[in-house]
Parts: sequence; structure tokens; C-alpha cells
Amino acid sequence: MKPESIQTSFNEVKEMVQACIQCGTCSGSCPNTFAMDHTPRKLWRMVLGDQAQSVLASKTFILCSSCYTCTLRCPRGLPLTEAMARLVQLARKANPLLFKKSHAFYDAFLQSVKNHGRVNEAGFMTHYFFTMKDPLLPLKFTPLGVKLMRKGKVAMPAFNFGLGRGSRPRGKMAAIFEKIRQMEQHP
Amino acid sequence: MEKRHKNALVVGAGISGIRTALDLAQQGNTVELIDRHPAMGGLLAQLDYQFPTNHCGMCRLLPLTRRDEGSQYCLRKGMFHENIHIRLSCELKNLEGEAGNYTARLRQKPTWVDPDRCVGCGLCEAVCPSEIADCFNEGLSDRKAIHLPVPHAIPNAYVIDLASCTRCGECEKICPADAIQLSQSRRRDFQILVVDDELSIRDSLKEWLDEEDFSVDMAASGGEALDMLGKKPYALMLTDIKMPEMEGTELLELAKTSYPDLVVVMMTAYATVETAVQAMKMGALDYLVKPFDPQTLIPMVVRIFQDTEAAKDLELQVDTVVISTGTTFYDPADPRNLFGYGIYPNVLTHIELERMLSHTGPSQGQLVRLDNQQQVRKIAWLQCIGSRDTQVHADYCSGICCMIALKEAILVKKMTQNSTDTAIFYMDMRTFGKSFQAYYDDAKKDGVRFVRCRIHSLAQDRETRDLVIQYVSKSGEHLTETFDMVVLSTGQRPGHQMKELSDICGVDLNPYGFIQPQPFFPAATGNPGVFVGGSATGLKDVAESVIHASAAGLNASGVIWSHHRQAPLTAQGQEAGPVMDETVRDVSREPVNIFTVICSCGHRLEQEVDPGHIMSGLRDDPEMVGQLVIDRLCTAEGWENMVSALEKVDANRFLIAACHPYVFARKIKTLARKMNLHPSLFHAVDTARLFWSVDSPAKEDGSTSGSRVLQELFQGATVLKHTGTDPIMPIPVTRRALVVGGGIAGMTAALSIADQGVEVDLVERDKSLGGNCLWLTRTLEGDAIGPLLNDTISRIGQHPGINVHTQSSIKDITGQVPSFFTVIETDEKQLVNRSHGAVILATGGSEARTDSYGYGTSDRIMTQKEVAAKWGGDGANPADLGTVVMILCVGSRMQPRNYCSRVCCPTALKQAQDLRQSNPDLDIYIIYRDMMTHGFSEAYFTRARRDNIMFISYEPEHPPEVETDQNRVLVRVNEPTLGVPLEIETDLLVLATGVTPQLPDELSATMGVEKDGNGFFLEADAKWRPVDSLKQGIYACGLVHSPRSVTDTIATAQAAAQRALSILSNETQYSGQIAAQIRHSLCSRCERCIPACPYVARWRDPEDDHIHVNDMMCQGCGACAVVCPNGAAILEGFTGKRMLGVIDAAFQGTTVKEVFLEAEK
Repeated sequence: MKPESIQTSFNEVKEMVQACIQCGTCSGSCPNTFAMDHTPRKLWRMVLGDQAQSVLASKTFILCSSCYTCTLRCPRGLPLTEAMARLVQLARKANPLLFKKSHAFYDAFLQSVKNHGRVNEAGFMTHYFFTMKDPLLPLKFTPLGVKLMRKGKVAMPAFNFGLGRGSRPRGKMAAIFEKIRQMEQHP
Repeated sequence: MEKRHKNALVVGAGISGIRTALDLAQQGNTVELIDRHPAMGGLLAQLDYQFPTNHCGMCRLLPLTRRDEGSQYCLRKGMFHENIHIRLSCELKNLEGEAGNYTARLRQKPTWVDPDRCVGCGLCEAVCPSEIADCFNEGLSDRKAIHLPVPHAIPNAYVIDLASCTRCGECEKICPADAIQLSQSRRRDFQILVVDDELSIRDSLKEWLDEEDFSVDMAASGGEALDMLGKKPYALMLTDIKMPEMEGTELLELAKTSYPDLVVVMMTAYATVETAVQAMKMGALDYLVKPFDPQTLIPMVVRIFQDTEAAKDLELQVDTVVISTGTTFYDPADPRNLFGYGIYPNVLTHIELERMLSHTGPSQGQLVRLDNQQQVRKIAWLQCIGSRDTQVHADYCSGICCMIALKEAILVKKMTQNSTDTAIFYMDMRTFGKSFQAYYDDAKKDGVRFVRCRIHSLAQDRETRDLVIQYVSKSGEHLTETFDMVVLSTGQRPGHQMKELSDICGVDLNPYGFIQPQPFFPAATGNPGVFVGGSATGLKDVAESVIHASAAGLNASGVIWSHHRQAPLTAQGQEAGPVMDETVRDVSREPVNIFTVICSCGHRLEQEVDPGHIMSGLRDDPEMVGQLVIDRLCTAEGWENMVSALEKVDANRFLIAACHPYVFARKIKTLARKMNLHPSLFHAVDTARLFWSVDSPAKEDGSTSGSRVLQELFQGATVLKHTGTDPIMPIPVTRRALVVGGGIAGMTAALSIADQGVEVDLVERDKSLGGNCLWLTRTLEGDAIGPLLNDTISRIGQHPGINVHTQSSIKDITGQVPSFFTVIETDEKQLVNRSHGAVILATGGSEARTDSYGYGTSDRIMTQKEVAAKWGGDGANPADLGTVVMILCVGSRMQPRNYCSRVCCPTALKQAQDLRQSNPDLDIYIIYRDMMTHGFSEAYFTRARRDNIMFISYEPEHPPEVETDQNRVLVRVNEPTLGVPLEIETDLLVLATGVTPQLPDELSATMGVEKDGNGFFLEADAKWRPVDSLKQGIYACGLVHSPRSVTDTIATAQAAAQRALSILSNETQYSGQIAAQIRHSLCSRCERCIPACPYVARWRDPEDDHIHVNDMMCQGCGACAVVCPNGAAILEGFTGKRMLGVIDAAFQGTTVKEVFLEAEK
């Protein structure tokens, strides 16, 4: 992505949070701040201060779980969750290497949804491991996998693991995703 | 319908309505003061403490001249004034006509208890079975359906809340005074017609309404209904919308054409609500959505019954109307309830906390948790709840919540001996008013914690019910704290039914529903005869409310004057003045003959005591020449009986024993005039309370009540024996005013006074009039100041009553109100002598100087005024600028000027806006401490943020640093959110240095006014007498009073003018009956009384070497009599003989030992 177009997209995000008064509502509300490198308040301040590089190197927006609490409570009525999502998209284009892991995870997740209309945990993780091409990665997830399986949280499909990009989406999912693609192109 | 004529109608009897009414009344105008509540005082009735004194002090609003025309006791308890008629539970329903000739239709709702008869004994409350939440205590305690609207009013009559009343009739049965008129028969007269095609609905409605004692008829169709309407008159029709033959809407239309007074309520299924709304446009009053239960129907029908049948309408001819309806507060439970208000017991609003801290509150002033009644150890205030929040349509600041939170935190600290942890969570601490900053500093010193973070929501611990708050610290740490109690500083919302009222009065509302005043004229509305005071234009603290109320009073009195073209008092004759020397009988040389009239209060007296015992007791005193028992003095009939009886009596003093002696003040004055006697020769005592009240001491033992009544009577008799009957001499008023200072404040004040026929000398130091308005261009709101200034100056020039003295100064002012003697030095160094009745100080202020932040080292560093001079004019183009930095609070809100100058933040926003408009690529940084965009100017702050103006806050401990060399200015500041130091190279650095007052020591000394610690004019009372000097007759306005905008300056100028006119409007003034005097033969000239006098009314005259008292200034407090070692300073009426006599009378029949023994019991 060209630096100019990154700047343009960044300025769009800046415009979204322009009226911010740094009151701290978003940061106080956010359930994920404990894991973030910058609190949302600080991130918005950095956006307003035109610090595009530091902003796009942050993992704050990756950790946004889109709970919309900050958007609901912001006294200035700013679309903060949307701005976070925009930063995720922008960061992926601007810093593909830095966000490789999270985006691979995200893509695998989405692919699974595309294919099944819901997440197939085992299928989507397998997809993720294949994309990352790291033989040690599955080992890292083993304890979590075992824990989830014990509680019956992981669906084990008998057939059709939904592997690979070749498998076709079923039902009306394709139409839905196509509509989303169109909407994203012409917002 | 009754018809009356009054000069002014004041809508809303809160503090601002009271101020306006008193201002107008003192001038001699007649005022109708109405309030929709059954008690006066508005919001202030609920608040026991006000900052910065943490006391009340409301009584300081009472008039200082012509004191005897009104009540002279605690104003929170109530008020009487000869020229004010107070009508409670009353609303303005219609207003027609034009300025000077309005017809107002008022509707007074019944309270079902006759206030003239109710003696406040409380028997009814004890028997009332219906309990609901007490709105006076904000729902924190319960009250009965029959209740006192406020606990402290005088006279305090009960009222019935009909919505919660079961009409069991118990109160009516027990009421000893026959005051309760909850008669059923009137309901029977209220005819209701129910129209519905479904029999089951008709039947159940009839059943419900029958049970409530209404008369109900039924019709199954529209046609049948129309037939029935023709047969007998109905008051209310309840009709279904969907009916087979004739739709409800058609029935409505036909019924309304033939019977326009018929009230119609539509009943509708959920799906046809829109039709119902349509029907309301066609004239239906309301609608009910089916299915509904009696709990919905009955209150609505009762309300309609009250409104239409029972309410009394009256028409009032008035010259002018003042709206002072105040504000309401945001309901934090609606709609998102992020703070669990109403769900978590320990979450309160700030008004609820005020009730908690009050001794008449639900916990008698103890700060306890509402779940377990344990002492509160940790309490937090959350600011900006429902303010500064666009998500709840409130892009405004509510102005005073910061100060309320500060006050409450300080009070809590004080009440709990500093043992409570108090924290205030805020965004900006808006301490913009005079002395607010010092109060903020005090709070910090008292240990109140301040956390700069807006709180998003809170949670309650399930086990402990503690309240858990999560927030981020300045450095970004995520913190969790628990509190026992959380107070929500809820923001302002428009007053009740503001939309309706604005339609009635033809005034505009702003987008948030508050009254929109005219540019520069805060009391003026779009309707030329309707004015607005107090918080109806946005929440204000007491001082600002009072200022705006007086400004509204000035506008109103202006309308009255211009339509009557004469001073109101001379128009209404001498009746209002006190009794004068030549008209009354001199009884000073006659022997004392006291005649006693005792009210038997519905023959209760005879039941409780033996009248014979009392009569014989009275006859023991040879000076008590006659006695008479009359039933119900409170009624017109009873009073007439007494008057005709007294005419035949040969006595020279009269003692009246009844309930509520206060109520008789006005009647007694009329009686005294009729009998040609001085009013002091009449005295009323309260004997009824001895046997009325539930817990009266007399109840215990019937035999003692007789002697109790006797004691009370003898105390009254003693007062009469030693009463002062010195005539009150009229004091001639010099009807000419002096205004010092020719800025916008001085000019406005001069015009306001001169417009009411009083000549004015306007003295200006400079060559031309105008002051600071000469360099100001526009307000933040975009109103041009030039036209205002030109218009004002040309009106001054053309006014025959204003003498302008430019390049002149005041050399000397001597004398006192109402005759000052002034020496003016004119431009040709000539001395001119003039005398004045009142003086207005308007010497203004100027931009403060500074030498900090490199000012003076570079021409790129300027003050706000210099920026205005360079770029303020239209058409200027700062194209050569790339970056602008503005630093706010330069030398303000810290030493040397520890106050907020209030105008710098809006000025910075305005200048940033202007610069940005002419140069869109400009980078603008505003370095601030707390953004003081209070009230509706908050929207401009939001706009500036949106316009990409960078705001960086700093702490006074770490101010920005400025480095200059030949070509550049470098500003270093710490960015608090990022925690990094920033370096900004700027082409222009603007310093907001604030306002300093111009009040030279010589001037303040010769005028006898004092200065506050910052050199501003010191008010007589910061809250209640904000434009008055302690020395009566001197008033201040504009920047010399306190830093303020042009609009706010005009408010003070009009307020000061109105205060001055309360003296100048009249040819003569009077002191009160109770005033200090001096026995010169006993006086040793020790001068102790001079500093003791809190009203500066005493001085020693070197010519005759006597101490003198100014009768108008003396308020009869008696401080002089206390300090005088020789008994030379005395208070008319309050002689030692009288005081000791009253004490003796109180102990009559008992020995002192017995009294003490009884007290111990």
C-alpha cells in the first residue's frame, strides 16, 4: 500500500475521533485494556497527534473485541469501535509482516464461517496452523485445546474438515459475503 | 372568573422569582407571584447550605428600606409583602395582549385544605392511611397523602395529594378547624360519559369510576353518545376510537363543535396510537392505550377533574410578565441507567445528598448508607452525569455542578470530622465564578481528592453492596475503587412544561428547551413585555440567579414605567406608606388601657381551658380594661365582628390572641389606620398552638393550659405596655443617580435609571465612552459588539436625563443614602458639586499584564487583546501564520491572580475559530488547565475539537516552557495522555492573561466600599446581595464587580440599576419601626457602636460631636445596644423594661425553680 493512501485512510480515522476530549470513558470501559500496550484514550490521542507509525505498530486495536461499550458510553458520541476496526484494516495493509499472525487467525476464522455459516473450531485451527507453517504452533495450543475439548466446547466434525480454500461455501453464505464485499467497496 | 389588575406577574416563586417580586414591590409596583408548587422557595427550599459560606442567608434578600411593608423573618419559611400577592399551586394558562396590557389567565389547583383555616396541628396526617414517597426529600422518605409540602413554611398549611388520596375521609372528620374540604359531592357533580361498543369495557369503566364517586353514564355508539350529550351537560367523555357505526374521531369532531368545553379522552388499541395523536390535534385532551387498568385511568380522570372542575380560573390584567421557572435535573435512570440509579441503594443524585445532609432530611442530617444505615466512610461524586454528553442530547455544561460537588464534599468532611474519604471524578473543574477558585483550593486543603477521569458506569458488589468504580489514571493505569456511596452530579434540564409555557408567553427556546434570551440582553425574550430571570435560561448559582432576577426586574419595571409615565408609588397614593405623625392619635400621655380579643378557634378554646379563669386572670391587671372572645378571627366574618366591636371600645392598646400572628400583620395595619392609632399599639400572640398541636404541653394536664394561655397573654400585654410609638418620619430622597465609569456596564446602568425618569450623572475618566467594548469585536456566539456600542452611545447622547462628564473623575463623596454629596472634577479641572440618592460603581477592568512565558522578548508573543487588535477586525488575513499556540490561565487561578477570569477560555475559542476560518491550514494548539466553557458555550468547545484544534492540558505545577530567539518561538509542554514532552515551534504565541479590576484606592476609600482580596468590589453578601455594597445606596456592576462577558456585564448593570431604583423611584423613603436611637446625654463617645454596626449606619459627626444613626441604613439588629456600656444606644421598642417584663410574664404563676424543674423533666 502506498504511503499516501495510508495517510488518507489514517486521516479518515482521525476525523472520526476528532472531537475526543480525553475524558477516559473508553479506557475505563474497555474490558481488554489490561492486555493493550496503549489504552484506547492514549491511542486516540496518538491518532490526533498524527503519530501514524506508532499507532499502526500498536496492538490495541487488534485486541478490540468489538463489544461496543466505549461507543455506547462516549460522551462525544464518537464511533470508536468502528474506528478501531478501520485501524485493524489499515494496519494489515501498512504493516503486513507485523500483523501476519493475527490476520492469519482472522482469515482462518472467517473462512470457517464462510464455509459453514458458523465456526468449526477444529477446522479453523487446522487451517490456521497450515497458513502459519510453524510445526511448533499446534503444540502451543494443545493445553487450551484439551481444556476446551473437556468442556465440550470444540465441535469435532466427522467429515469435511472444510480444509483448504477450494471448498465452496454452502447455502446463502456466499451471497451474504458478496453483499458485504460490495458494501465495503462502496460504503 | 375573578378579574384583577397588577403591575407585574412573576411566574415561579423560587429564589429568582422572589428577588424579582421584591425588587418590583419595593419600588411600589404591585406584583402577583405564582408558583405551580404548593410552597415557595423552589429548589432552594430543599438546600440547607450554600457555598462559599456553607450557610443559608436567604433572609438577606429582604428589603432594607420600607422594611415594615413585608415580613422580616426567615425567607425560607415564607414571605409577606404589602405589594406582593402570592398564589401557590397556580399556573399560567394563557397570555394575551401586548407589553403594558396583558391579560393573563391563571389556574389555581385546589389543595383541598383551606390554608386560611388550617392550623398545622397534624392530626390529619396521623390518621391518613395512604403513604407515598416524599418528593421534598427526593423520595428518600415517605409521607402521607395529606402532608406539609415543606417542613418549615409559615404559615404551614397541609395539602392533599389527590393522586394518592383514598378519600377515606378520616382527615375531614378529625380536622378541628374544618379546614379540609374533601367533599364527595363535588365528584358526584362531575358527569362522565363512557362511549364504547363493547359492553364489558363500558361496565368495568363504570364500576371503577363509580367506586371513585364520579357520576358515570354509558353509550354504546357515537350516535347514542351525541343524543346523551344533548340531554345533560357532561364534563368528560371517554370514547373508543374503533366503533362500527361512527368512528371515535368523528364523534370527537361532532361533539367538540356543539360542546367546545367538553373534555374528551380517546381510548385506543396499541395499533391506532397514531390516530389517537391525530385526535389530540383535533381537540382531544389525552388518550389511553388499551388494555389499561384502574391505576392508569383513575389518576388521569382525577387530574382532569382537578384541572377542569375544581380548579379556579382567574383573569389578571398585568403590564409585564417575568418568567422565573428555573430548571429541572436529568434523570439518571433514563434511559440507559449506567449508574444503577434507583437499583443500587447507595447511588444518589446531588439533590438527594443535600436532603441527606439536611436536618429535616430522611436521616436527620446523618450521612448513612441507605442499605444498612452504617456510617458512610468513602464517598465519590461523579461529575457531568447528563451534561457534556452528546449521547443524551446535552452538548452543554450545567454550570454549577462542580461547585455543588465541592460544597457537598467539604460539608461531608466537616460533618464527619474529616473521617470520610471524599473523591470527585471530573473532566474539567469549572470554578469560573467570583471566589470559586479559592473555594476549590479550600477543598483541596480539606483533603478532598480530585481525579480527572470521567466515570463510565459502576457496579455493585453482590455481598457487601459496596459500589465499584473502574477508571484509568492519568498515566493509563486501570484502577478499581470501592465506595460506600456514590453521588451523581446530574445536569440541568428545562423546567416543567417549558414548551407549553414558551408557547403561552410567545418566547423562543434554544435547541435544548431552555428559554433563549436576546443577544446581549439576558433578561429579554422575543416578546417585548415578557422577561426571564434566574435559571430558566440555564442553571445558575444563587448569586447569578439573583443578578439575572434583578435584571429581569429592571426590564419589567421599565415596561411598567413607560406605560404609566410616573413613579408608581405616587400613582398609587399614600396608602402604602407607614402611618405618619399628624394622622395618628398620640397616646404617649394617656394611661395604658389594653383591650384583649381572644379567638375561640371554633369553640376549641372553651373545650380546652376555662374562659372564666382566663378572664378573671386578665382582670387582675388594672391596665387590662376589657376582654372579648370572638370565634374564628381568621375568617372574614370573624374579623369584621371584631372590628365592629372594637369601634365601641375605649382603649389605646389592643391584644389579639389567635393562631398565626404573622397572618394578621396586614389586617392589623388596615385596622390601625381605620382606628387612627399607631400599628405598634396592636399586638398579636399565638395562643392556639398551646392547645392545637398534637404534642402540645397543655394537653397533658387541662388545668395547666389555662395558665399557659394567661402567660402568653401577659407577655403580649407587656410588649404593648412598653411599645414604642415614635412616628416614622419620611426621609426625602435625592432623586438623582451617579454612575462612575462609562463602559458598557456604566452606560447600561445610566440608561436603565434615566429611562425611569431619574436624572443621572455619568462620569468617565477617558475622552470617550465605551471602555473595553471599543476593542472587542464579537462574542463567541458571533454577535457583533460594534452595533451594540454605537446604539448605546447614541442613546446616551440623546437622553435628556443623562449628563455625561468625560475626562472627569470623582474627587469626593460624602453623606449617605439617600443623599450623597459628590464632587466631580471635570475635563477643565473644574469642581462640580452634585447630590445623589444612589451611586453605581462601574469602573471596569482591563487585561492583566504579564512578564511570564517570554512576553516582551519577541513580537510573536502577544496577549489576547493584542491579537484582537491585530486580527480581530473583519477582513484580516493571518495567511503568513503556520502555527499558533495559545496558553491559558497565564497568572490566573494561581498567584498573583488566584481567580478565574471567565472570559479567556471563550476568547481563545473565538480567536482560534476566527484564525482557522481565515486560514484553514493553520495548526492551532490551545494549552489549558480546565476549559471554562460553562453553560451553552460548551458547544463551541466541542466544535473547536471537531475543527482539529489541538487541546493540551497542563497542571500549574508543570507549566509550559517558552524559548525565544530572533526568529522563532518554541513552546515545550508535557502531553499528559501520551506522557511525552512536546516541542511546538510556533509563529504566534497568544497569552490569556485574564482580567484585573480598576478600582483605585482613593475612589473606594471615598465611596466607603471595600475590596476583596483580588482588588474587585466586595459585595455585601456574595450570594444574596451580589451587586450591593455593604454601605447602602452603593452598587457595583461590570468588570469591577467580577470578570464576565459583555452579556453577563449587562445583567449586572441592569441588576445594579434596579437595586438603585428601589431607592430612587420614590420621593421619600422610610426606615423600619424598629431602629436604633442614641441618648446623647448618656453617650460617652467611646465609638464602640460604630464598628459593631454591620450595616455601617453609624458615624461620629465632628461638628456636634455626637454619634449619629442613618435611619435608612439601620436594620434594627441591636448590635449597638449590646456593645454600648452606658445604655446610650437603644433600640426603639426593645427596652430593658420590656424585655425583662416579657420574661417575668412568661414565669408568672410559677417560680423560677419550678420552671427549671419542669425543663429538666
